[in-house]
Amino acid sequence: MAQALGEDLVQPGELQDDSSSLGSDSELSGPGPYRQADRYGFIGGSSAEPGPGHPPADLIRQREMKWVEMTSHWEKTMSRRYKKVKMQCRKGIPSALRARCWPLLCGAHVCQKNSRGTYQELAEAPGDPQWMETIGRDLHRQFPLHEMFVSPQGHGQQGLLQVLKAYTLYRPEQGYCQAQGPVAAVLLMYLPPEEAFWCLVQICEVYLPGYYGPHMEAVRLDAEVFTALLRRLLPRVHKHLQQVGVGPLLYLPEWFLCLFARSLPFPTVLRVWDAFLSEGVKVLFRVGLTLVRLALGTTEQRLACPGLLETLGALRAIPPTQLQEEAFMPQVHSVALSEQDLQREIKTQLAQLPASASGPPPRPQARLPGAQAIFEAQQLAGTRGATRPEVPRIVVQPPEEPRPPRRKPQTRGKTFHGLLTRSRAPRIESPARSHRGSTSSLDTRF
Amino acid sequence: MGNRNEEDYNFVFKVVLIGESGVGKTNLLSRFTRNEFSHDSRTTIGVEFSTRTVMLGTAAVKAQIWDTAGLERYRAITSAYYRGAVGALLVFDLTKHQTYAVVERWLKELYDHAEATIIVMLVGNKSDLSQAREVPTDEARMFAENNGLLFLETSALDSTNVELAFETVLKEIFAKVSKQRQNSTRTNALTLGSELGPGEKKACCISL
Repeated sequence: MAQALGEDLVQPGELQDDSSSLGSDSELSGPGPYRQADRYGFIGGSSAEPGPGHPPADLIRQREMKWVEMTSHWEKTMSRRYKKVKMQCRKGIPSALRARCWPLLCGAHVCQKNSRGTYQELAEAPGDPQWMETIGRDLHRQFPLHEMFVSPQGHGQQGLLQVLKAYTLYRPEQGYCQAQGPVAAVLLMYLPPEEAFWCLVQICEVYLPGYYGPHMEAVRLDAEVFTALLRRLLPRVHKHLQQVGVGPLLYLPEWFLCLFARSLPFPTVLRVWDAFLSEGVKVLFRVGLTLVRLALGTTEQRLACPGLLETLGALRAIPPTQLQEEAFMPQVHSVALSEQDLQREIKTQLAQLPASASGPPPRPQARLPGAQAIFEAQQLAGTRGATRPEVPRIVVQPPEEPRPPRRKPQTRGKTFHGLLTRSRAPRIESPARSHRGSTSSLDTRF
Repeated sequence: MGNRNEEDYNFVFKVVLIGESGVGKTNLLSRFTRNEFSHDSRTTIGVEFSTRTVMLGTAAVKAQIWDTAGLERYRAITSAYYRGAVGALLVFDLTKHQTYAVVERWLKELYDHAEATIIVMLVGNKSDLSQAREVPTDEARMFAENNGLLFLETSALDSTNVELAFETVLKEIFAKVSKQRQNSTRTNALTLGSELGPGEKKACCISL
């Protein structure tokens, strides 16, 4: 899919026959103030009502409660119950809580805490004129059909300018990569600029180092890794792609660099990001493999694509119904690619990568594979000596003693009656639980 | 230049659009292949392409036009982009001198990756913004002549010369291909373009 579902509808001469779009917009020719935005903010977009298979409201409410509880004690949650976090991320973070959860998952909240005032300085400093020109040219070209980004003076484009400029000042040797635009834009749809900035930093430096810099060396490596995985997991598709001359660099960069923000229906993009922030780059590979399978997995599909253009076209024309979140995400999560498989393949491909005339070699070991690794790294950095002592501003309960993350104790089959110093959560789903232990579900950080 | 049913063609010519970010490559592509223009077309990340089949004399020619990101760092991942290209439009924005000043660098990039015999046209885009012109026509035309390039000024916005630009490049390619055919044996001495025999029709399964 070359475009997110919500953006297709306003191309002149390309009216999409979509029975679920809002309003009588088939006669209107462009995004004016009269066109309604869908629930994600896309003008003329079709995400009006939740699609088929979308969880019922009370299940969403339950998930919201769980997330509120998990995020109220984030360090405890990440130390002891990461598996639960991972599962909940796979099921999808409820819309209302993404703003709270994404910065926690990617560790942006710690970055922000450790660098108070940094963003403010960056936002106030003048940008490098060369980057400013390039960034400025692109502001109206990110999600142009999203209501937040329609107006040049609106907080969408202005926020984008601030965040992207701040990054070029924060990492002048990295500068600006156009793919950071869509990534930052999605972050800004959910987060205020400072939070969005730190999430962008984490994505560019910790989840995907070597993607957005001047040489994009990690993209080249991952393209080779993707091919190797295709060869192993979808051998017939791999053979077809080779025969027609479609290498991964012809379709993978936009997918991976933008975290699929331009290639999937928007609700699915959000689900992919939930899983990506939790489990890291492995998710991108799984999504990519799923898309390739959906486009070219059957003999019929391959026969219908005798050449390069047809094959590339097929990769971009997967029917949107197959990409709806509830149908698509379970397939992603069941791709037979473990973290170990991936690491092994990365190592193999790295060894075989020809030395590049320009630019540094990729360093995949610098990549952290998701929220748990990030949490542990940040904890470790914290215990080695923070630059200044942490003074909690609001004490909700007695602060935990800093300690290294420990493995979850084996509690299966055992019952505890007050033997632990802190009461443990019983494993029953019940809404009343969420009010235990914390004085309020309001998060004072936001 | 007439249009032809997408399903029948005798030749496929791959043409690439190159040039700095923001000069209008994507809109030249959409103007030529779909007769569309958008002020807000998205930044190109990765590779885009579109096709249009046209008649050149009695031959049906499928023009396969490729478009990619102009920003410098993408060059690391776009070398595959040039493979098999027989024509190129090197686009600059005639209202931004900086995009013209780097044309030589783009030429070098092109010759590093593509066939030396590739047909190249220098295109000064955004001619509709006449008040904001920063590159004199004569200067650009002279540069083109001195370097063996074709030259035109276009406007993807109001369509000026867009058809002509692509048509000219395709005609030049076609002329070269025809000449080569005359000079070589029947079986497969072509290095330019890919050709189907006369009367052979290729099934087209484009799903763009």
